[in-house]
Amino acid sequence: MSALLEVENLNKHFGGLHALRDFACTVQRGEIVGILGPNGAGKTTLYNLLTGFIPPDPGARIVFDGHSLLRRPPYRIAALGISRTFQLCRPFAGLTVLENVVVGALGSQRERGADLQARGRELLARVGLAGREEVPVAVLSYGDQRRLEIARALAARPRLLLLDEPFAGLGSGEMADLSALIRQVHAQEGLTVVLIEHKLREFMSLVQRVVALDFGAVIAQGTPEEIVRNPAVVEAYIGRDAEVAEAAHAA
Amino acid sequence: MLRHRLDLAAAAVLVGAMAVLPLVFPSNYLIGVLTVSAIYGIWAVSWDFMSGLTGRENFGHSLFIGVGAYTAGFLNTSFGANPWWSLPAAMVVSVLFALLIGLPTLRLKGPYFALAMLSGSVIMQRLMLIFWEHTGGEEGINGLAPLIRSQLGFYYFVLGTLVATTVVLLALARSHWGLILRAVRGDEATCQAAGINVTFYKIASLVISAACAGAGGAMYAHYQLQVSPQLFAVVTSITIITMVYVGGMGTIYGPVGGAILLVLATELLREFGEWRLMVYSCALILILFFLPTGLVAPLWQRLRGLLRRKGKDPLVPVAADVMEQQA
Amino acid sequence: MLEILIVGAVSSAIYAMLAVGFTLIFGVARVLNLAHGSFYALGAYGAYWLTSSLKWPLLPAALASIGAVALFGVAVERVFVRPMRSSQLAVLMITLAVALVVEQALFLTFGSEYRNVPGFVDAKVTIGGVDVAGSRLLALAVSVVVIAALWLFIQHTRLGSAILAISQDAQAAQYVGIPSDRIFSVVMGISAGLAAAAGILAGPFLSVQPTMWLLPIVKAFAIVVVGGLGSIPGSIVAALMLGYAETIVAYAASTSWTEIVSVLATLLMLVVRPAGIFGRRAAF
Repeated sequence: MSALLEVENLNKHFGGLHALRDFACTVQRGEIVGILGPNGAGKTTLYNLLTGFIPPDPGARIVFDGHSLLRRPPYRIAALGISRTFQLCRPFAGLTVLENVVVGALGSQRERGADLQARGRELLARVGLAGREEVPVAVLSYGDQRRLEIARALAARPRLLLLDEPFAGLGSGEMADLSALIRQVHAQEGLTVVLIEHKLREFMSLVQRVVALDFGAVIAQGTPEEIVRNPAVVEAYIGRDAEVAEAAHAA
Repeated sequence: MLRHRLDLAAAAVLVGAMAVLPLVFPSNYLIGVLTVSAIYGIWAVSWDFMSGLTGRENFGHSLFIGVGAYTAGFLNTSFGANPWWSLPAAMVVSVLFALLIGLPTLRLKGPYFALAMLSGSVIMQRLMLIFWEHTGGEEGINGLAPLIRSQLGFYYFVLGTLVATTVVLLALARSHWGLILRAVRGDEATCQAAGINVTFYKIASLVISAACAGAGGAMYAHYQLQVSPQLFAVVTSITIITMVYVGGMGTIYGPVGGAILLVLATELLREFGEWRLMVYSCALILILFFLPTGLVAPLWQRLRGLLRRKGKDPLVPVAADVMEQQA
Repeated sequence: MLEILIVGAVSSAIYAMLAVGFTLIFGVARVLNLAHGSFYALGAYGAYWLTSSLKWPLLPAALASIGAVALFGVAVERVFVRPMRSSQLAVLMITLAVALVVEQALFLTFGSEYRNVPGFVDAKVTIGGVDVAGSRLLALAVSVVVIAALWLFIQHTRLGSAILAISQDAQAAQYVGIPSDRIFSVVMGISAGLAAAAGILAGPFLSVQPTMWLLPIVKAFAIVVVGGLGSIPGSIVAALMLGYAETIVAYAASTSWTEIVSVLATLLMLVVRPAGIFGRRAAF
């Protein structure tokens, strides 16, 4: 099984700050990979680099399904089959729920015409927003906006889905629902999913493999069980997130 | 759908009224007023298509109008071309200007784009004065030939163009194109992440807007039979924006009503003489405070809801929320 | 050569006063105030009216005019800008409408002919063999003093610190109890006063007519884009660049081309480096 995404030698400096150091990672088709790291570890920077919103330092190698992603504008990278969500929900204000999802599909040009509406409705039903198609998006609760974001990201029929802290701002019930949705989507659509989080509980049961970041560098890679026992990870988290200690005990 | 049939009926009534009016009240003055309001309608609709949908308010629309008009002026007088060449030529030149000024400025946030376009129109006005030897300076270019000798005939031509322009732009606005433009207003980065080439759509919509405005400018030139730097004035741009506000931003059809209303109001204000522009400016301030969603489109939507006997229609997304979100 | 140096300096100084006011209100309130040019015009007309109709001596007339315009600026902020603050475009529209009303008011009161604001100093001074109008030197001197005073004020007073705080982070400033609204009014007043002063100083060698508000706005915008939005040092540097560029063009080609300089500079800067020279915050 060939790798879907190969990243090597990925660095990013912001002025004097070395935000991401020698990041390297391979994601196989069909995996669910988690990127773990406290705030400021460089996770969102990583996504911005992968999706073309900021350019990496010279010497990086990013290959998605045989195509190099370097020097491509974000819309072209998305068209290749990568969809992402953002840390803060960013719905298209002024549009309805259904319109939001349809726009998500418009960019990929993989579908046309009336099919877009049908696919939009189907996706909304899948994420649990059926019946709210005509609602203006500003009215939705935060949890519903998250679901909408996922529906919108899926509308483009991506092969790789990059989720940026999808559980942020959700209550525990909503987190469980979202987790189930991600698992279901992964299974049904055959998607490869990469997930950034710094909250561990849901994360650990969802992902198959974890890459842990701290201060822009990879400090550990492995299965969830291995990661919580990894001394470097524990040290990075002790005092900053008591959940890790909890998870370590629970694992 | 009943909603669309009602829309169609209303449009037919309005167009029919505008076509029949000069026949019922034969008066050159009336035809003149209606012609001017139809041309302003073209300008207002073209502005709304770009700025109303994307939320990028263009404060320099007069740039494209003036450019189209001067193109007509030069072609017709200096080159002696047949006036009918003015229209396509004006569109081409306006498109060139749209690309020239749009490419560097469209990536700017709303207010800066607005000011950049304003600067563009101001500078074009100055350029017309600076190169007075070629452009006729303050007096501009005189002696253009009319497109159609019959005043009534010309009016019907302009009216037809207005209808065609509105129909085409409305269709575009209701299609995926319009959806993308409105999404761009919502959040550009997310559009990019969804695979949409935002730059292309912004520039394309500006180009379309400019082409229509330029064509309108050429028509205006062949109506007034003269061209002057006043066409580039800020007042022209602001008048058009006011028409769109009154009509209902983002609706495409509303600005037609706004244009007609405002041209009529301006005529009625003629007795104020020198005070006209002052009254106008004060009215603009009042409109900005009290009618941010406009007059024509919201009224029509309420009327349409009543006609369907279902109460108020859910409003087509209009600028109210845009004004809240833009920051 | 020396003439270019001095005339360029004078232009730059006046532009700097205009631009600093413009960038100040932007930095603090994120407001692009299109009525800024109106303050400039009102300053000039105010001094003109007080000296020619009421026969006041020039200095009191100038000071009174500046004060009145500053108060007017505060009023504009309170009545027109504040309700629209939620949307930058709404602020743009309303300040533009105010500018139009002011233009019409000036037109109706004074007519559209060009007026002459008397200069403070009629004498000519000779420097290094070059005749320079005394009023130009005065304009230069006053501008430099005023801008230096403003800089000191911002760096060394509590109010100045509050202004800096708000321009860095408006919400955080509110959390620590800085009364942002009151400060916006003060800044608007200062900004308007600066513009009025620029109008009075420039009056003797620029024509005064009701539409004189528009070109200063275009230039102030150009300077602020080139120098960096919200950056006072940037505005000063850019004002110098623009002032000298215009003067050189005027001597080398003709005065008609000077206005193009500012627009070309704006467009070029936007293409090459939209954040401006010193801008931290880009215009996009």
